[in-house]
Amino acid sequence: MRDNETIAIKPVRTVLPDQAVAYLIVGVVAIFFVFFLLLPLVHILKTSFVTEGRATVGNYIEYFGKARIRRSLYNSFYVAGVTTAVTTIMAFIVAFALTRTTIRGKSFYKSVSSLPLMAPSVVQALALISLFGRNGLVTNWFGGKWDIYGPTGIIISEIFYCFPYALLILITTLSAVDTRLSEAAESLGAGPVKVFTRVTVPTARYGIFSAAALCFNLTITDFGNPIVIGGDYNVLATEIYTQVEGMQRFDLGATISVILLIPAVMAFMLNNYFTKRNYALISGAARPFLRPSSRSKRLLFSTATIIIIGAIIVIFWAILWTSIVDVWGGRAGESKQILKWLTTFSTRHYNFSHRGRSISVVWTSFWISIIVAFFGAWLTLIAGYVVEKRKPSGSQLLYLITVLPAAIPGLVLGLGYILAFVKVDWLYYKASIIILNIIVANFTLGMLSTMTNMKNIDKSIDEASTSLGADLPKSFFRVIFPLSRISFWNNILFFFERSMVTISAVIFLVSPKIQLASITIIHLIDDGFIESACAMSTIVVAIVVAVHIIFLAIFKKKGIKVM
Amino acid sequence: MAKDLVLEKLTKKFDKITAVRDMSLEVKEGEFVCFLGPSGCGKTTTLRMIAGFETPTSGNIYYDGKVINDIIPQKRNFGIVFQSYALFPHMTVEENVSFGLKMHKVPKQQITTRVDELLALVGLQDQKYKYPPELSGGQQQRVALIRSLATYPQILLLDEPLSALDAKIRVNLRAEIKKVQIELGITMIYVTHDQEEALSISDRVIVMNQGYIEQVNRPIEIYKNPRTKFVADFVGTSNFFEGTIQDNRVIDRNTGLEFVVSREALRSAQPQEGTVSLSIRPEKILLHKENGKVVSVQEKTNLKNGTIEVVTFLGVIVRSLIRIADKRIIVDITETDFEQHMVSMGDRVKLYFPPDEFLVFGAAEA
Repeated sequence: MRDNETIAIKPVRTVLPDQAVAYLIVGVVAIFFVFFLLLPLVHILKTSFVTEGRATVGNYIEYFGKARIRRSLYNSFYVAGVTTAVTTIMAFIVAFALTRTTIRGKSFYKSVSSLPLMAPSVVQALALISLFGRNGLVTNWFGGKWDIYGPTGIIISEIFYCFPYALLILITTLSAVDTRLSEAAESLGAGPVKVFTRVTVPTARYGIFSAAALCFNLTITDFGNPIVIGGDYNVLATEIYTQVEGMQRFDLGATISVILLIPAVMAFMLNNYFTKRNYALISGAARPFLRPSSRSKRLLFSTATIIIIGAIIVIFWAILWTSIVDVWGGRAGESKQILKWLTTFSTRHYNFSHRGRSISVVWTSFWISIIVAFFGAWLTLIAGYVVEKRKPSGSQLLYLITVLPAAIPGLVLGLGYILAFVKVDWLYYKASIIILNIIVANFTLGMLSTMTNMKNIDKSIDEASTSLGADLPKSFFRVIFPLSRISFWNNILFFFERSMVTISAVIFLVSPKIQLASITIIHLIDDGFIESACAMSTIVVAIVVAVHIIFLAIFKKKGIKVM
Repeated sequence: MAKDLVLEKLTKKFDKITAVRDMSLEVKEGEFVCFLGPSGCGKTTTLRMIAGFETPTSGNIYYDGKVINDIIPQKRNFGIVFQSYALFPHMTVEENVSFGLKMHKVPKQQITTRVDELLALVGLQDQKYKYPPELSGGQQQRVALIRSLATYPQILLLDEPLSALDAKIRVNLRAEIKKVQIELGITMIYVTHDQEEALSISDRVIVMNQGYIEQVNRPIEIYKNPRTKFVADFVGTSNFFEGTIQDNRVIDRNTGLEFVVSREALRSAQPQEGTVSLSIRPEKILLHKENGKVVSVQEKTNLKNGTIEVVTFLGVIVRSLIRIADKRIIVDITETDFEQHMVSMGDRVKLYFPPDEFLVFGAAEA
């Protein structure tokens, strides 16, 4: 008994078959990356080998020839090396405390530890200056004669810059590696120290190496902190800037960029390698119940964690306080009356026009960040969907290209943009170049997040949609996108945050017409207006934190968990 | 011209692996066929090629006389029911079922009518506005079924749709699926590794192994006359002997046991000499206890002595494992017969193998 003729089922009309649409999207994204990632890199390479119009390795000879410039390589390695060692140990201690002991206040510590991620990578140096600088709080208190500028300042700043990243990796490692291994060792008679050295550390080794590699990469490519607190101590990042901005030596700047690329990319690849190994070692078994730690263990780890996390709190407190105190360090002769000048408030530092700048830069940063967030999230979603779900041939290559930006130091990419687009009207010194740069520089993480999400959506859902007559766009918008909402909004938040706080990538791209808040902070420090720099930092952090809180509130209301 | 599906020399290769080899098959309009076979035999790959999610490496698929190899899945209008149901978790039952109709631009009013009609067909009217996670496995599968039927598909393809469900629900649901198929007269192609399922609902069964078709026939023929040793082994249970054949006598290589087989068991394309496989179903072997009931014996050679090692109660039948010479034989008798015989572990028994209940497979058919 067939009654097909009751309803007229019209045949489905598709403009293009799904395969063609998939190829088209891959093609567009690939072209996008050729222009906005590969082309700038090619320009860097090209420029480094050109002196006065001739192809030569002269620049490289010059670099290694001039002692002062050559030193920057050694300095970079020294700073990165020390930072890596110290940060890895610190992060391990706190990660251990958070995952293997039963100290109280864990969620508080976790929240605070991610605070530095919401600030421009200059607040660490800024806080150090406020506390230990020539007119610093601690300097005045102890009447100290030290000089925070130089390698020490850089190292301390970088430690707190890298710390959240290293901590995240080690928390994942320590909480996922089977704790029963330690318990087995204990039952065989091993004391706590032996368990630690023979079981805990070795099983976490890939996580440790991965965290170390990441620290190295982050430190050696960081620009904000060294430029502010480095003084005469030049590292590769600051040297590039000096050559380009100071001496207009684009060729030498490009050369140093190439030199910087080598350790940066190697550290990145090491990190990748160890991360893969780390995941292989992690067992999927649920974590067994954590035995209550002994009193002495709790005391030990609580103390260590409080000190480290406390330092982060102090950094942000210093920034905030400096911005609201009338005269930091007191008026003439008041430097020892600490309590007095610490409690004399004023909002004058928030008047940026008195410092030759304008608060409008915050607004510029804000709307640029919104555009970056919108396009960044959409691009990574569509690209991630096509690469993970539709897999046309060539998507493997595209995937590799989209992972590349994470290996390139932001500074190098920024310089590449200047070299590549000097003649392009609609880009050069316009907002568009900044927006594109930030999207490309941060594409990798967004893409990875999308692809993880896509992996969790069963293949048959896409196929069911297709078999019911939906073409690729319809399947995407009606079925896939609703199921990817969480990773999409996480990406919006991620791109917004990165855009608000980024320094290295955009230092070369700003202009009198388009100024960003994060760069203005650096200029304010350059001009000696520490307090105003702190004020602007506070505003930026406040905006990012506020947006985070709003997102959290909305997600909680909708019952969705944010990653 | 009837809307038949014809597969012509279909082959599918994935890199080095050939999943489907040179498959030719005709499925008539309105037929219910099952692809039956173990994992990796190529049945799902074949189904996906019919659906349009895989492109054949070589060969053609015809529907209604036309080649459809290059027609995209959206335009084939073949319904698909997936093993994982693949219901859209963010849509209600009603939205799921109406999805296909929306894609085909059916007017709203007609969609509503059609959806209500389908919900009534499987008794899910009360679940109309629920979300898939709120439904039981059986309910989800029924939603998947009517969703695929909404747009009056020409053929319905089902990929192990019931494998995730409990045994009892499975039995009920497959009866419902069969009922729907008969009522709508729709062609159904069903993939499963459960031979009980395949035998109970299909008009024809296609037994597959390693990319090849082993046998295509009605269920009863598949069971009674398996064409190859694989089919005899995969469908139902069999006892196997490997040995040499001389005239109409087979000698088992391992135990030296000799059996007489009838002319029918030999079948037409049999070598009179050489190595063969011999099989017999457990329910065809006749059992009698020493000093017990006499069983009619035509061939004294086929009467063997054995000892009962295990007795298992399976509800309808009682399965015994009996050792003869050095080999364990499976023998099934009904529960009533069991009561009469009253056999238990350790008993010595005589087994009779009727010559015409054997199946002989030549080396080529192993």
